[in-house]
Amino acid sequence: MSIADLLLILRGLSATIALTLGAFLIGALLGAPLLVIRESRLIPLRLLAMTIIQIARGLPPILWLFIIFFGIGTGHFRISPFGAALASLGLISAANMAEIYRGALGSIHSGQWDASSALNLGRWYTFLDVAAPQTFRVALPSAASYLIGLMKESAVASTIGVTELTFYGNQQSQLTFRGLEVFAMVGFIYVLLSLPIAWLSRVADGYLQAKVAD
Amino acid sequence: MRHRGDEMSEATGNVVQLMESPSAASTQKRPLICLDKLSKHYGTHTVLNSIDLDVMPGEVVAVIGPSGSGKSTLLRCTNYLEPPDGGLVTIGDITLNAEKLAAPAEVAKLRRSVGMVFQSFNLFPHMTVRRNVSLAQERVLGRSRSEADERSMQLLKRVGLTDKAEQYPGRCSGGQQQRVAIARALALDPEVMLFDEPTSALDPELGLEVLSVMRELAETGMTMIVVTHEMSFAENVSDTVMVMADGKIVEKGPSGQVLRNPQQERAKRFLRAVHDR
Repeated sequence: MSIADLLLILRGLSATIALTLGAFLIGALLGAPLLVIRESRLIPLRLLAMTIIQIARGLPPILWLFIIFFGIGTGHFRISPFGAALASLGLISAANMAEIYRGALGSIHSGQWDASSALNLGRWYTFLDVAAPQTFRVALPSAASYLIGLMKESAVASTIGVTELTFYGNQQSQLTFRGLEVFAMVGFIYVLLSLPIAWLSRVADGYLQAKVAD
Repeated sequence: MRHRGDEMSEATGNVVQLMESPSAASTQKRPLICLDKLSKHYGTHTVLNSIDLDVMPGEVVAVIGPSGSGKSTLLRCTNYLEPPDGGLVTIGDITLNAEKLAAPAEVAKLRRSVGMVFQSFNLFPHMTVRRNVSLAQERVLGRSRSEADERSMQLLKRVGLTDKAEQYPGRCSGGQQQRVAIARALALDPEVMLFDEPTSALDPELGLEVLSVMRELAETGMTMIVVTHEMSFAENVSDTVMVMADGKIVEKGPSGQVLRNPQQERAKRFLRAVHDR
């Protein structure tokens, strides 16, 4: 396996990174309103959010990819392979992030709600000033491991022709008949990519913990 | 209580106004807090069994009694942290009927005049001490950041914690955290302060610094209901002592009398256990 082979595979790096970060960003943003609806006092809204979350998380990612790309994407509504992959993974990650936020919200000490109520902060400021910052803090490690998971998940996009790492890896293995070496290299790149995420998460976590020290 | 009560009625326009209103003309002085047949159940378990309690302006009431007697629930129902399921709660000129579902705005009005301090402090861990005290002033009273901070610094000075203003609560001792919690509650200018076992999570020395802040607060004429196991506080600071057991008030009266010479068997038993320790 030559440097040239490696460079050919690395052409997929930007698509893998863009797809992973894009889908995560969609999930991190949409996950918050989804959680708010999920925790709404109105039962129909709660049921709606629970259904969305269950379906989004319940189907295999590759199935979502096919539904969006071959299903929705073949009518009047044209969608690029990358767009379809971004939409599918974004949807799945919104549902997962909503659940990560919900778990973190549940870990907030009940005294925080008592104090907020006794101070008359109201639902909105209790959420904004008290719950959200603490939720974010608790959700950080789980969100980082989800981001690493999502990066690996993004390999399914190769099946609809998104030119990311696994796509070029597959191409190279078929050209060179040296699948083991090529895919070992692809795997190594994924591991390398996950390292800075894990490191950043630890640094951020350590910083926030030192600040709060509770 | 008597002389403090007089100061109080001058200090709070609200109370004076109430006393001048025609409906109250016959009574010389109206209670600031009035609980009328207050009840609370968890399933079939009765936590509060038709509690009647009047607290006069400036009065300090110590609530003592065994665990599970409903002391904390009584406080939490008074400011609707837990909605009671029977009876009336009146604070100042706001009355809520537990039989009816209270609108959030009504509950907010009731809580406006009530500050609360918890056993576990419940400071916001992600904010500095000063921010903890300023937050609700800005969000609830609409004070500007600088107004709120100025008031916060005054209050922190009063509880002796000016130097901790920029620290996070996690860096403060339990006693310091509880004093911050008192400052935070006072920042909204309450007429009544509720204390739910404020020193139970503290060692005796740290408890003492919290108790001395509470004693000073009582001396300024603040109306207080204090759930406590601190018998010296009950005896020396409070005007009234109330013994609760099984969701009922078993004895209530001037603190010296109840603590030294209880009349009811259940109160005697509890106080004997306290003294024997």
